[in-house]
Amino acid sequence: MDPMTFSIIRHRLFRIVDEAVITLKHVSGSAITNEGHDLMVSLYRADGTLLMGGVGFLHHLTSAAEACKSIIRRFEGDIHEGDIFLLNDPYTAALHTSDIYLVSPIHHEGRLVAWSACFVHVYDIGAVNPGGFAPQAPDIYTEGFSSPGIRLVAGGEMRQDVLDTILNMVRSPEMVTLDLRSMIACNNVARDRMQSLMTKYGAKEVDGACAELVNQSEDLFRARLRELPDGQWQSRQYLDVNGDTARVNLTMTKKDDRLIFDFSGSDPQSPYSINCTKWASLGGLFAPLFPLLCYDITWNEGVLRPVEMIAPEGSIVNCTRPAPVSVATVGAIQSVNNAACSTIGKMLGASEKYRNQSTAVWHANHFAIFKFGRNQKGGDSIGILTETFAGAGGARSFADGVEIGGEIPNPISRMANVETVEAAFPVRYLFRRRAPDSGGPGEYRGGTGGELALVPHKAPDGGINYVISGKGSRHPMSEGLAGGYPGAPNSYVWVKAPEDGANTPVTAAGGLDAISGTQERVSWGVYPLMGRDALYVRWNGGGGHGDPIVRDPEAVRRDVAAGLVTLQSAGDIYGVALRDGAVDETETMAKRKSIRSARLQQEASE
Amino acid sequence: MSGQDRISASVAVKEGQAVCAACGHDLGPATKPWKDHAHRREIPLALAGGQAYDTGHEGVLLRHFYCPGCAALLDTETAMAGDPALDDILAARG
Ligand SMILES: [Zn+2]
Repeated sequence: MDPMTFSIIRHRLFRIVDEAVITLKHVSGSAITNEGHDLMVSLYRADGTLLMGGVGFLHHLTSAAEACKSIIRRFEGDIHEGDIFLLNDPYTAALHTSDIYLVSPIHHEGRLVAWSACFVHVYDIGAVNPGGFAPQAPDIYTEGFSSPGIRLVAGGEMRQDVLDTILNMVRSPEMVTLDLRSMIACNNVARDRMQSLMTKYGAKEVDGACAELVNQSEDLFRARLRELPDGQWQSRQYLDVNGDTARVNLTMTKKDDRLIFDFSGSDPQSPYSINCTKWASLGGLFAPLFPLLCYDITWNEGVLRPVEMIAPEGSIVNCTRPAPVSVATVGAIQSVNNAACSTIGKMLGASEKYRNQSTAVWHANHFAIFKFGRNQKGGDSIGILTETFAGAGGARSFADGVEIGGEIPNPISRMANVETVEAAFPVRYLFRRRAPDSGGPGEYRGGTGGELALVPHKAPDGGINYVISGKGSRHPMSEGLAGGYPGAPNSYVWVKAPEDGANTPVTAAGGLDAISGTQERVSWGVYPLMGRDALYVRWNGGGGHGDPIVRDPEAVRRDVAAGLVTLQSAGDIYGVALRDGAVDETETMAKRKSIRSARLQQEASE
Repeated sequence: MSGQDRISASVAVKEGQAVCAACGHDLGPATKPWKDHAHRREIPLALAGGQAYDTGHEGVLLRHFYCPGCAALLDTETAMAGDPALDDILAARG
């Protein structure tokens, strides 16, 4: 194929995905899709293999490929132009039930030539807890509606009986309808644009370009792997549920042009819904791999070929039915994301050529807090605190991480405006800001996470309730690199107002301790936010890079002045003394010398 | 391994040996866990410095690995007591 045509087709495929994402956002009305960008759109070849991975949550790219393949197997001989299939069973391909895949066959002149697939986290899926994340679910049967594949649209016509059946099982059916219709619109746009591409260039020509594109990605990725050093890198992530600790262990081995991710030694599947299935783990390890190793390579099946995953059956990263998995995307899947990000960061750091592309782990403790209840307009609201998508950048080998800089598995993640949340829920923010000391210390500091406090406001029922789940707040998860510290852990605090008197006025400078009342840590379950109580949330910063006591003291001074690092940490961790807002160089040298000699007095490793 | 590879920004490789990038202290063959040759300190995370690390829970540890030669902090790990150290090694190139 001539290189010009190949290039044009490749760019058209990119644009088709872009336009489909825009359509999805225009039709959807939910904050999680529009504000949090908890979405994904991609194109697949006729056999269901990944052709063009789009933006959004990248751990969906390979899982949606499996969704296409399983629809092909299930409906063989009965797949028609204008059909759209729904699949959300985690044991078939999906990550959890509330991330619904809609997959559409794309026909040209009567022949199946490709697929488009997309997902959004639907408003509700009818699980035991509102919003889809179900910390109280003991098994998959209590995690809501779940289908291994059903035809939602037949030949361009909505199957109303199927839609009504689904809507009959969810809270806020009108919002779930909007979610499903946004995905139908998205797939329709992808299909139309693919069909006109084929009409213009010919189906055979386009498919030839697609095959070449997949091979090109494989060749480029294998060539990159050959440039990187051979070796073995390890990582470990902890998850906490009410004091029960689970581990995800990873040994990544790189040999010539192959990469093996071995999760042997990870803990057995949990009674809690933090587990994930093998398709989810595969998606989880590719989420950081695509942007960190293939930032200039088209994300498709070719990138998958050099990679192997070992995930023991019955473990937390390859659970067996009917283990609950509704918290997977902020549970074991993200632990897989983090572990892979850490080992890939280490491998890049070991390379002469690629060392400046290594990064400590970004925002590792994605959490899920779903507010639900009657709103100030008398209707019902369910919605996630989108601050979880705001993230924090990991430090690089040459620069600090970006404050509240997003997250690796979703290059377009972001958070909603405070006003958007206050318009939809009967709550008020006391503050939302960068959290001091949350970024992992290092020669280059991890980007800070943030902190916020919410109180009920004009709530007809006196407040709302919320479902909280995730990996807990005991463990730091944004690992550092080369001596950098991890980002500080998350913190969730229920501040119970004193029996008498009003709460102390809160200013942005005050933070958690300026809110009067007794503090109770929460991390898993359903809780009220009523009366004059407050909910405080701090999310983790990114990991640091390098030894904190070689950080430029002037950078530490700037961090303290900006409220990103406390005076205590400046002294204790960075060994920097500040006097009247300036670096005291003599005192700093003495402090750092004393930290060094204290280190050498420690016992040697046995 | 190729002559230019290193293990990390803090641990270099010289003639097949892992060495401290700051002072050149020998940390054993690069194909073996270098942490066996480093000073290791394990402290509760809550005492690592700054209030943000204090989660109110014991048992969460921060491990430090120091260069015995110059006291540079070469690596950190979060851990629970008894969990093995994470080993990062380069393969010998045949
Ligand atoms: Zn040294």
